[in-house]
Amino acid sequence: MSELDIGLLVAAVTIVLLLLGVPVAFALGLVGIGFLVVFDGWFAAEFMAQQLFESLDSFALLSIPMFILMGGVIASSRAGPDLYEALDRWLYKVPGGLMASNLGACALFAALSGSSPATCAAIGKLGIPEMRKRGYPAGLACGSIAAGGTLGILIPPSITLIVYGIATETSIGRLFMAGIIPGIMLVLMFIAYSIVAARIWGHEVRDPNLAYTLREKLEVLPRVGPFLGVVIAVLYVLYGGIATPSEAAGVGAFLCLLLVMVIYGLWRFRDLWPIFRDSMREAVMILLIIAAAEIFSYMMSYLFITQTLAQSVAAMEVSRWVMMGYINLFLLVAGFFLPPVAVILMTAPTLLPIITSLGFDPIWFAIILTINMEIGLITPPVGLNLYVINSIAPDVRLPTILKGTIPFFLLMVLAIVLLSIFPGLALWLPNAMMGDAI
Amino acid sequence: MTRKNPTGGHPAAGAPTEAPVRGAADHAARAGAAGAVGTFVRAVAAVSTAFGMLSVVLLLLAVFVVCHMVLVRYVLVESVIWQHEFVTYSLIAATFLGSPYVLLTYGHVNVDLLPHYLPPGARRWLAVLASILGLMFCAYITWQGWYFFHEAWVDGRTAGTVWNPPLWVPYLTLPLGMGLVCLQYVAQIVALIRGIEPPFGIRDPIAGDAP
Repeated sequence: MSELDIGLLVAAVTIVLLLLGVPVAFALGLVGIGFLVVFDGWFAAEFMAQQLFESLDSFALLSIPMFILMGGVIASSRAGPDLYEALDRWLYKVPGGLMASNLGACALFAALSGSSPATCAAIGKLGIPEMRKRGYPAGLACGSIAAGGTLGILIPPSITLIVYGIATETSIGRLFMAGIIPGIMLVLMFIAYSIVAARIWGHEVRDPNLAYTLREKLEVLPRVGPFLGVVIAVLYVLYGGIATPSEAAGVGAFLCLLLVMVIYGLWRFRDLWPIFRDSMREAVMILLIIAAAEIFSYMMSYLFITQTLAQSVAAMEVSRWVMMGYINLFLLVAGFFLPPVAVILMTAPTLLPIITSLGFDPIWFAIILTINMEIGLITPPVGLNLYVINSIAPDVRLPTILKGTIPFFLLMVLAIVLLSIFPGLALWLPNAMMGDAI
Repeated sequence: MTRKNPTGGHPAAGAPTEAPVRGAADHAARAGAAGAVGTFVRAVAAVSTAFGMLSVVLLLLAVFVVCHMVLVRYVLVESVIWQHEFVTYSLIAATFLGSPYVLLTYGHVNVDLLPHYLPPGARRWLAVLASILGLMFCAYITWQGWYFFHEAWVDGRTAGTVWNPPLWVPYLTLPLGMGLVCLQYVAQIVALIRGIEPPFGIRDPIAGDAP
């Protein structure tokens, strides 16, 4: 059996195990150990427990639970609604301002929480009823929040980009930088579309006499400001190379915890326990996949599959952009079924040699990959954001939400195309701030 | 597909989760199960939950120690001795020891496309099969992890750093945590066969709800 045949077999067995409903971490580990044993005997799999332990034996991994905790703490506070209200008060007079304030709040909250479903839930809970009350069609209201929420994994700090950085050993600071401009670009595209769509299909109901005083406009800021301050400080420390991501995130998590206790009065055990519990569950889930994916990719390179795959792709007589198209299609399909973190951990170690041998930049690819994963969050069957929206606006039927998300889906594809034509959109900022990549 | 409703109850507390916490609802189902099997399933759930709490404590401890480390290193400008290793090991321990609780509450993310479209009877046997496959991996790791720990214990291996902690302590969390995952899997399989627990934690699926 050639390495490529074994590779195909690995893919087939993995897909079957995943479809059977085996947890991603255990499925990856089982495939890894199984193939080592079958193709090379028991001794090849002897050190896999050690491998599992050692793949977690890294200080850099600490940034994952710390950022999750930081995001979880902020998401559990009233920071989301506060942010939304603040923007709405500022933009009330602007035509289509409600759309802009919703999507803007999504982008800001995405930066605060680093999580897409959390952003959707926090902004959507207020934003969707308000938009519908003011005459926007339900599909547009739900679609814009679902899409706006996906920015959580692109705008820094993003758990997805941290995981990519760890899986491919690329600089997390650089990855975060690269996400900023594409993130802002996507927000602006979303806002532009929403305003146009609202003009065509919606009848924006505004009370022309309602005006917010400057005091009302400013009163929300003291409550939201500190969180923004902490996140900006964390990012500054991280970019400046003053402290490692784990240290910055750890202090950030601690400060945010302190802030919700002081500003929002969350200090009782029953307030804090769900935050801690859910952060722990998500962190353990991700870390265990990271550990098991290490066994999987160890097997792939031990059996020489990764190397052969990269070589044969490089030897193919197709244009590298056609190849990039196929890779994106593959990722898109994977993203339909699996959450972003799982897709990245499973594919990045195998894809990265291919990407670099085709002459693509790994940082640029991270952004393409992330936007691709954003699409997976708003498409069935496991579009996480769709179900979050479905649970906060139960009277809107899923097909209506889906129809509302289609234009945003297309805008994200457009963003991928734009980034392919102008890679500088992603690469200019990290190169300008941190010097050219080595 | 059933709605992916995050935790419910607390406003946005469920937001960071990737999957709903279904365990709580299932405790009620378990509580109704009588006899030795019911007791066994409940006991395992209690042990997993206790270790889940320990995992939370370890993560919070890591937060405080990191802050302490930053304080020592950047504010007092002294060298840090034990903090680096301590947080790394507590993170590893939190991952392995927290795993049984995450399994109990269906937090280990999986593709639940097929389960949602299967009729309840077939879904239950699929859940049993998926659990056995997961158990195979965990059992192998527990077995190998035991040797990994035992070797460090017998040889009295230490980290060889300034702090120089004995390595059997962090190593022990691997076979212990994965062993508890095995136990949780066995309880889950028993509960599935006895019909105590709904397969894949899906309580009232409406097949065809998903587009």
